Amino acid sequence: MRWFLRRLAFYVFALWMALTLTFLIPQLMPGSPIGGILQHLSPQQIQQNPGIILTYEKIFGGKNVSLPSAYWQYLQHAAHFNFGISTSNYPTPVSEVIGRTLPWSIALVGIAFCLAFILGTTIGMFAAWRRGGGFDTIFVPLFMALGAFPAYFTALLIVYLFGLRLGWFPIQHAYGTDLTPGFNWTFFSSAIDHGILPALVIVLAFAGGWVLNMRTVMINTISEDYVAMAHAKGLKDRRVMTRYAARNAILPPLNGFAPQFATAVGGVIFVELVFSYPGAGFTLQQAALGKDLPLTQALLLVFAVCPIVAIFIIDLVNLVLDPRIRAS
Amino acid sequence: MTQLQTELQQPGPLEPLAAPTSSRRRIKLPSWLTLMLRNPKAQIGLGILFLFVLFAVIAPFVASASSATNFSYATREPPSWHHLFGTTDQGSDVWAGVVFGARRSLATGFFVAVLATALATTLGITSAYVGGFVDDTISLVTSVVFVIPTIPLLIDITAFLHQRGMTTMILVIGCTLWAFEARILRGQALMMKNRDFILAAKVSGESTRRIILGELMPNMISRIAAAFVLVFYIAILVEAGLEFLGLGDSAKSSWGVSLYWATVNSSVLQGEWWSFLFPGLAIGLTVLALTLVLAGIDEVSNPRLRGLPKNRSVLRLLARRHA
Repeated sequence: MRWFLRRLAFYVFALWMALTLTFLIPQLMPGSPIGGILQHLSPQQIQQNPGIILTYEKIFGGKNVSLPSAYWQYLQHAAHFNFGISTSNYPTPVSEVIGRTLPWSIALVGIAFCLAFILGTTIGMFAAWRRGGGFDTIFVPLFMALGAFPAYFTALLIVYLFGLRLGWFPIQHAYGTDLTPGFNWTFFSSAIDHGILPALVIVLAFAGGWVLNMRTVMINTISEDYVAMAHAKGLKDRRVMTRYAARNAILPPLNGFAPQFATAVGGVIFVELVFSYPGAGFTLQQAALGKDLPLTQALLLVFAVCPIVAIFIIDLVNLVLDPRIRAS
Repeated sequence: MTQLQTELQQPGPLEPLAAPTSSRRRIKLPSWLTLMLRNPKAQIGLGILFLFVLFAVIAPFVASASSATNFSYATREPPSWHHLFGTTDQGSDVWAGVVFGARRSLATGFFVAVLATALATTLGITSAYVGGFVDDTISLVTSVVFVIPTIPLLIDITAFLHQRGMTTMILVIGCTLWAFEARILRGQALMMKNRDFILAAKVSGESTRRIILGELMPNMISRIAAAFVLVFYIAILVEAGLEFLGLGDSAKSSWGVSLYWATVNSSVLQGEWWSFLFPGLAIGLTVLALTLVLAGIDEVSNPRLRGLPKNRSVLRLLARRHA
């Protein structure tokens, strides 16, 4: 229970920090954020919607508002998911743009990242078990090299090879442009078809880290006494590997899941950009380039919240896997 | 862990340099460096890195600066004798872009690493050594900065920035990349703090400053070096990434900027593999080299990770497994 309360305090604090940070960045930057935003709206747009300046001042703080009261108003607006109107998608509210794009990213990253974790730890487990064997000498350097290349480079290469040269998969967008999103088979198969290459890039980019991490921990675990004991009992090789060594070795990589996820969330921006995937990352890049500050700010908040949610899920998994936490 | 290391290192017949623990109180760097220089992974890594630095230094002798930014050549030429790496859609030389780009990319990465490592070391050690409220505060801030995704954060900051010169980028990236190392270094310093030699220094009345700088730091130098290398390559990736997204200074030549122009001009879709392959390979090889150096440092400081003996015959392996 105490553990749970401490974790709860951490989530709340992290959430609050994320909110504060997204509020503070525009304030700390040189120049007034309002001026920058209004530059991107045409005079007609401001005339049509006279309240718009006030809305922005409530979120970013303006000349007429003091910093603490602007902060308080920002928190209130954030609680209602009100982040103003996106200047590059005028007159769509920011929250609507996010609602439209975020599900694509969550689906893509969620699936691909979990696949990378499973694939990476499995390879790491086998590599450590037969250390110096064929598997170890081929896969570990291979994934280490793959992990060294930035995700966008792997993405460009894969687009070139599988999309352009071989023409196996579509290379742009998340579904066929002639389709409308809906719950039918044609749409789903098109979405999966479009998702395979981006997902492959994410898996290749992130599996390497897990391979090395799992291998290192597993090598240490193998020399533990209880593994020797399991061998001595005459248990099958495979059973010792999965139930004794890997069961214990999985905990450190699992705890590294959330920070890695934070990196992955950043990495997905590049992948989405290369594939013009209509997710939150691509939108963030477009917003930052177009200086759509309300959208940029709100998306940063979204990206900051994702790892906190991931930590929460990992804590729950940990609760199941690690009896020491349950006991305390 | 360090205690474990010394215990493990003592019986090791391979590295006579690691054995004497009596010299611990002096600066450990030389023996540690020699060990690292003997490590094959670190050797390969340092070798590749040296090549890149060399080309960055002698860039004006192997390429002309103007051909990287001047759009005066025939466009979309595949690699040839005249243009080793081909030319871009805009008619600039890819080879010159890669060679001159190395200067900017490596320098940014290096200075970010210096800044972030300094921050991480200061905060990590202070937090561990002072303890109490200071520790709680620093740890909390660290763990929060740690989970906020760097790339979106940097995108947001650069979106608000008006100028994106190299110094600005170094400061901004450096201030976001310290958190994970601060955590590790804090852990190390915590373990070190209660070791006998620190207690002895305290009892003999040495000042806190001297204990930290003269006793604690020299013993953590291998971990700090690892932190430096880690941040170095992450910084190269992050900086190139921001430039790739178009959020850097697109007028200067660097690896990320080359990749940015390759995507903006949709070179990939037109089948011009050379305009993105070579800058991308440059980033990848540099990062790979630094990863190898890091693996080398890890192996030196954690003997369990060290490779098996060279002659791995099948029989030997079988014997090992059933031993």
